[in-house]
Amino acid sequence: MTQTAPVLTNADLKTTEKFIQAVRERVATVVVGQDVVVERLLISLFTGGHLLLQGVPGLAKTLLISVLSKSIDLDFARIQFTIDLLPSDILGSEVLDQRINEFRVRKGPIFTNLLLADEINRAAPKVQGALLEAMQERKVTIGNETFRLPAPFLVIATQNPVEQSGTFELPEAQLDRFMLVHRLDYPSPSEEREILVRNSALGVQRQDGGAVVQTEFDVLSKEPVGSTDQLIAAMEAVHRVHVSETFIEHVVDLVNRSRKHPAVELGCSPRAGIALLKASRARALMHGRHYTVPEDLFSLAEDVMLHRMRLKYEAIAEGVNGRAIVAELLRSLGGAAGEPAKNGASA
Amino acid sequence: MSRRFNTWRGMWLCIAIALTSLSTAAAQLPSVGMPGRVTELVLPGSEVEVRARDAKDPLVLRITRVAPHGSAFRYDFEYVALEAGKYDLRDALRRRDGTPIVTDPGDPNALPSIPVEVTSVLAPGIVKPHVPEPQALPRFGAYRTWLVAAGVVWLAGLALVLFGLRKKHAAMAAARWKPRTLAERLRPLVESALAGTLEREQRAQLELGLVAFWRRKLAMEHESPVRTMSLLRDHAQAGPLLKSLEAWLHMPTPPADVDLKALLEPYRDMPADAIPEFDTAALSAPHSSGGR
Repeated sequence: MTQTAPVLTNADLKTTEKFIQAVRERVATVVVGQDVVVERLLISLFTGGHLLLQGVPGLAKTLLISVLSKSIDLDFARIQFTIDLLPSDILGSEVLDQRINEFRVRKGPIFTNLLLADEINRAAPKVQGALLEAMQERKVTIGNETFRLPAPFLVIATQNPVEQSGTFELPEAQLDRFMLVHRLDYPSPSEEREILVRNSALGVQRQDGGAVVQTEFDVLSKEPVGSTDQLIAAMEAVHRVHVSETFIEHVVDLVNRSRKHPAVELGCSPRAGIALLKASRARALMHGRHYTVPEDLFSLAEDVMLHRMRLKYEAIAEGVNGRAIVAELLRSLGGAAGEPAKNGASA
Repeated sequence: MSRRFNTWRGMWLCIAIALTSLSTAAAQLPSVGMPGRVTELVLPGSEVEVRARDAKDPLVLRITRVAPHGSAFRYDFEYVALEAGKYDLRDALRRRDGTPIVTDPGDPNALPSIPVEVTSVLAPGIVKPHVPEPQALPRFGAYRTWLVAAGVVWLAGLALVLFGLRKKHAAMAAARWKPRTLAERLRPLVESALAGTLEREQRAQLELGLVAFWRRKLAMEHESPVRTMSLLRDHAQAGPLLKSLEAWLHMPTPPADVDLKALLEPYRDMPADAIPEFDTAALSAPHSSGGR
């Protein structure tokens, strides 16, 4: 691949590795396990692509994002999406200042570096649309004035896949705005034990003459371990990670196969290929490499591709699931195009 | 008596011959362009010769023989007329000694008229031959040109036949050669990958075809693709070549030192057709001369 940026040196790689390691360690002091989610969060942060986390409540999503924002000294805001939320509650609005009898712009919570859009599927489509438009354009118009969103700007949205009543499912076009959609799993038994041990160590916090039981949020260290400059350096380093022609061939092949799979009605768009490439570069950097390898692709394929594919009705009726299809597509790589894997996974 | 009879018989014979020759001569007047002859003609006076001829003169006269004849000379003339008509050969003569030709019949040295007639073989009224019909130009070149061209074509054909046969022979030899082990099959592919002469599609297929092969061989079909990759990289047999390929195909500056024999060692006892992923158009062709 033609690299416009200079090749990443070992010194650059070590500096970035150090920064990433420090952030990981800080997150690990509060959040147990979830290494993959932390990795996806950092990938999103380094590439400027937004992240949608799908998982049941109680998997430390908010805690994770809080600790990440504090680790790198970034502004953080959280919006709980509900059915009665209005676009102005997110973007901001003009309010009448009665002292001077003029309208004044009051910026909404979207003007932050890290925005947690909790349970995004609970808001009405026009609210979802307002947020997703801002995500895409990275600017907001309030009244007659247009404001740029701060940089870096990253939206981490969450969605509960179980509870579907009173929700508005995001359409494919809007899901496509998220570079990654990561499906959270429950922690392993050993991780869960560690969570319980750590939680039991929390005490009671005296406050305003009274006392409250401490939560993980109360023990978050306020001191950042990385600066915005280090984050920018890491973002630049991602763009200097080498991508070989062979790797691009793998990406093109994989995206093409998603369009030809018999169970898939709508395959991946070229944006999926771009996202795969960007995310793979960031992952390579996080694993101390200055070049991408097929493992990056294999690791990120599900998070990048699955929400961009629509299965056929017949396939869904037969119980075929998207994860199995992505795994089958990955197994079929290396064989002739259009051939299913020799021992492809089914439902 | 007998002698007188013989004299008369000889005279009659001469007359008969003379008459025959005269009638023949009259019947065989020369035509345009054909030579006519007047022989044994005795002309009085000094010797004559042919005057210098004008280019436009329609009669060409030549004295073929001259011999003294008493005080006169005896001549044989040959003439060719370019136009039909009656001519006087005397008009084309002059005295060799430069004295003028006298035509007065009372003068003993007067040169008599020598009339001749030239006929035309053309039909009456036609004075010139037909204008030739326009015809197509002859083909380019002549016999020699055609000969050279035929020689060139023959040599070219020969070269084509020889070259074609050689190529066919080479293709047949390549087709006959079949690797016996997977190591033999992989060697040219890996060598091409090392040399950077393998096509992009072939490189991709080589790398992931090997992954697919080991996944099957080590029964990792139900592992996730990421975990499979991780396990294969650490596997004693699968790992070395996969890791080397990863470095050659993906690093910006691949490592130079390679022990290909050691890398292919695990594949020595495996059948050549163990990787069906390679039985595709991209990788089934011989790769010893593969290009980027």
